[in-house]
Amino acid sequence: MKKSMIYKTGLPAAVMLLVSLLLPMSAMADHYPPGNYATGAKVWSQNCGRCHNIRDARELTDSQWYTTVFHMRIRAGLTGQESRDVLAFLTSSNKPHRKSIIGAVKVSSSSAAGKADGKAIFNQTCIACHGGDGKGTLPGAPDFTDPKGPLAQSDDVLIRHITDGFQSPGSPMAMPAKGGNTDLTAADIKAVLAYLHKFTK
Amino acid sequence: MKHPGKFTRHALAIAIALAMPMTASADAAYDALKKQVEQMQKQLEQMQDALQKQETKVKQVEENTITRSEGKALETAVNEASEWKDPNTLVHMSGFASVGYVDGDNQDGSFVAGNFSPIFHFQYKDMFMLESEIEFEVLDDGETNVELEYMTIDWFVNDYVALVGGKFLSPIGQFRQNMHPSWINKMASAPPGFGHDGAAPTSETGVQARGGFPLGNMRTSYAVYAGNGPELVAEWDGSGFELDGIDANGKGADRDGKKVWGGRFALLPMPGLEIGVSAATGKATVTSIEDDTGTAPLLVNEQARDYDVLGFDGVWHYKSFVLRGEYVKSEIGNATTGNTANAASSEWKSWYTQGSYQLPGTRYEGVIRYTDFDSPSDNKDQEQWAIGLNYLFANNVIGKLTYESNDGKTGTRADDDKWYFQLAYGF
Repeated sequence: MKKSMIYKTGLPAAVMLLVSLLLPMSAMADHYPPGNYATGAKVWSQNCGRCHNIRDARELTDSQWYTTVFHMRIRAGLTGQESRDVLAFLTSSNKPHRKSIIGAVKVSSSSAAGKADGKAIFNQTCIACHGGDGKGTLPGAPDFTDPKGPLAQSDDVLIRHITDGFQSPGSPMAMPAKGGNTDLTAADIKAVLAYLHKFTK
Repeated sequence: MKHPGKFTRHALAIAIALAMPMTASADAAYDALKKQVEQMQKQLEQMQDALQKQETKVKQVEENTITRSEGKALETAVNEASEWKDPNTLVHMSGFASVGYVDGDNQDGSFVAGNFSPIFHFQYKDMFMLESEIEFEVLDDGETNVELEYMTIDWFVNDYVALVGGKFLSPIGQFRQNMHPSWINKMASAPPGFGHDGAAPTSETGVQARGGFPLGNMRTSYAVYAGNGPELVAEWDGSGFELDGIDANGKGADRDGKKVWGGRFALLPMPGLEIGVSAATGKATVTSIEDDTGTAPLLVNEQARDYDVLGFDGVWHYKSFVLRGEYVKSEIGNATTGNTANAASSEWKSWYTQGSYQLPGTRYEGVIRYTDFDSPSDNKDQEQWAIGLNYLFANNVIGKLTYESNDGKTGTRADDDKWYFQLAYGF
């Protein structure tokens, strides 16, 4: 009887205690490394859709995302670092953005790209949702390889869409402004657009 | 001098004659000067007016203009206005609800209020979170049923472990812990065996450790728990008992004094793919009787019996295509000693597989699901094909049209085919 009780109650408690103690302890939140935007976009796009439709990255305020992501950490078995990465992406998507003026950023064939590396920017900021092949990894993400697809529009329009954010027709969610990476400059956007055009060639 | 007075008069007359035009000339100059002064005064007044107006305009501009630093401060204030003031404590409410219409072979079509399930989150820093889901459900007779689906305090011990205490959703399998909310479940109904009193446990009261960790290039997630365990329900048919079901809805007390422990381990070898295995073991005891005859004997010194659960689950997600499946078996062992309502062993098992696909460029989604549920009671055994067409008003607002083709014992509810229309909203 006592042996059975130990087996039935003591064992799981001991396992949980052992697991908790063996893994690195750090109860102080200040010691955690900050979240990484690009990794967060990847974790977000690769995990959320496994159980439910992916929610719009701009749907909640920062504080609402904070509790939501911790709730999802429990539900989805995310690590603490993955949670911080996803939060970095979501809060970055929330940053206010001044609407660009049509034509304010002109793209000429000679000025495209400049010193910015469009491929590197794509791989860091866009690839999580648009995929390495440009065909999209999420429902509603457009197919960049389609010659009659969204890239058939003028560069001015495309730059405005990238800069301000855009919801593709039929898509249940919108791309956040600058893909959620508010650090992107006008030159970066030109460069990444030049890289996107390679998908249709 | 001869006639000097006459000379004087002449000279005076001449002087006056000469002086007269000069006086007239001075008057004209004076008038011109006066006019000029008046004009200048008028211009000065006009300039003063203009200056006054300009000053007013400048003041207005100053009043309506902010500096760059003031603008930055304003922008910061606006950004922070919607955020919680105390960053150490956050409060948030989410949840889900559904309404709809259901029509079956042997039942009249009815509008249903579905359920309303708010979820509350209270978080202290990165360390603790209290989360709770309360389900409100309108029953057939109009009464409202309120149930605490779960209520836990989660302690985020470190990046890989969270200790969870309270009443929590069973970590056995996927459906109960992750898929049951109506805005997530792509069908309007739960697969047979995965609802309440089915093959899969729904919730547990106890403590669990859960989290995830990387394994090479793969990811993992785990949950280990210990809890009060389920209770058994026996049905009296007038001549004897049979086990009617396992009540695996987190109990507030361990009335048989036998704990249950178990958990789930999942491997995510590549993005979009998750494979999980679950198990639980312990003891369960008959604690209640269902008796329509009123002749059932009282249960005295009912003995605890073995309780074991085994489950497998998997999901593959590629773009807008999701394929998932789950198997769960709950088994009650033989009663070899003491009193029992039914000495024979019993098992409940169910498995389902479901595929869903959102048509590219549209908000329409097709779903198909197959389920096979076996229980000790033939009346509840059910084989089901379900097909559905969903419309995503938004990713969290979904209209569902679901048809269930059910195959069960003739004359039972398990054999009734059903139509559902449901509008589910996740908030």
